[in-house]
Amino acid sequence: MNSLPDTVYFDNAATTWPKPTIVRDAVQKALTIYGANPGRSGHKMGLAASWEIYRSREAVAHFFNLNNPSNVIFVQNCTVALNIVIKGLLKNGGRVIVSDLEHNAVMRPLHALSKDSSIYEVASVSFGNTQETLNSFRKCITPETKAIICLHTSNVFGIRLPIREIGMLAHEYGLKFIVDAAQSAGVFPIDMQADCIDYLCVPGHKGLYGPMGIGMLLCNCDQNLPSLIEGGTGSLSTELNQPEELPDRFESGTLNTAGIIGLAAGIEFVNRIGLKRILEQETEHMRFIYRQLKSIKGVILYTQIPDLVYTAPVLSFNIEGYNSEETALMLSEKGIAVRAGLHCSPCAHRKFKTLNTGTVRLAPSVFTTFREAQYVCKSIRNIAQISRKQI
Amino acid sequence: MSSMCFYVSSVTNAMRGKAVLEQNRICSYISRSTDDTIKNGCGYCLLVTSDFEKAEALLRSVGIRIRGSKQMNDAL
Repeated sequence: MNSLPDTVYFDNAATTWPKPTIVRDAVQKALTIYGANPGRSGHKMGLAASWEIYRSREAVAHFFNLNNPSNVIFVQNCTVALNIVIKGLLKNGGRVIVSDLEHNAVMRPLHALSKDSSIYEVASVSFGNTQETLNSFRKCITPETKAIICLHTSNVFGIRLPIREIGMLAHEYGLKFIVDAAQSAGVFPIDMQADCIDYLCVPGHKGLYGPMGIGMLLCNCDQNLPSLIEGGTGSLSTELNQPEELPDRFESGTLNTAGIIGLAAGIEFVNRIGLKRILEQETEHMRFIYRQLKSIKGVILYTQIPDLVYTAPVLSFNIEGYNSEETALMLSEKGIAVRAGLHCSPCAHRKFKTLNTGTVRLAPSVFTTFREAQYVCKSIRNIAQISRKQI
Repeated sequence: MSSMCFYVSSVTNAMRGKAVLEQNRICSYISRSTDDTIKNGCGYCLLVTSDFEKAEALLRSVGIRIRGSKQMNDAL
């Protein structure tokens, strides 16, 4: 019972692992029983697959308090969802406001749309100071601003943005509010109505414990964005125009049935445990690790101790004398899986002045044990001691 | 036995319609649309065996676009 697994997995911010048994079973069931193409045929297996997918839409809509399950669009991942919204919203011009912690899933599409000059303003996030953060967003609003796009929590430093207040600010100025919930879905509650979210972009394979290759775009407004990809939808086939109705407008081509059914099982898993318990358990592990690392000479920490309000359970650190990739490699040799480097988020690293070094990121899941947390701390202590001897 | 077929454009609309009707204790069945008079192709049909008017009102109330309807005899 007390032995460590072969892989002590702290790379859950990239993708959660292991997957719950009910998710693995659901995927197997999908491949075994619901193997026909959904939404194309009228035979029993095709309709059964379609029904399972519809029930998955219902589960997603309920989880994020979205009124209409048809407005749950299944895509490959969170990045595709962000691309659909960003490129659709800004197709005919306009500007947006982003935070200074954004992932490249937001920044690269915006850069691709920027021709002669950038089409976005950057608001500064003040850790633990909602009012100052809001003021920064407010100052960025111009007559050309169409929307505010921001992540819910930083994938590198765990900083949580006050999305409800930012959403209210956006709507106060008649702006659309788009949230990148890559790191928060399944950890923090997200209520699309109360949080004033018009578009929510979500991965299935992280905090919702679904398989990789499934993500979602949730639409909570009447705006009909242009499609990014056109093709067969199994509906209105004589028309060459892409259907206007959701989800067909954004779901051309065959859906990932196994991914969708697995994702719905992941949501059921999260619901059974409860968001509160997940957050408390993971935060407890990170607070333990933070205190341990703080006591190790040569370990550099960049944020305050994780809490339940202002941070997600994600922690970045470095060890003096090693770059982040070297540290990650040494941890890997000890059986510990972490991610090092820039985490596709140069903005966040620029803000924390770690753009040249990157950081090592620790991210637990609900399956992380206290023994694993202890082992990680012991391993980091050993590496730091070796580093000091070499210096 | 008489039934009513409500034509909708997509499988999601059909599934959502079925779920809405079930919540209101109206039984329905989904099949592919076989009616050539419903243009645009590739649609689905919700077959309802009772409470036709209530069913139609419920479908419309949640925003499901009904592309046509047809009363059928001995359909099931």
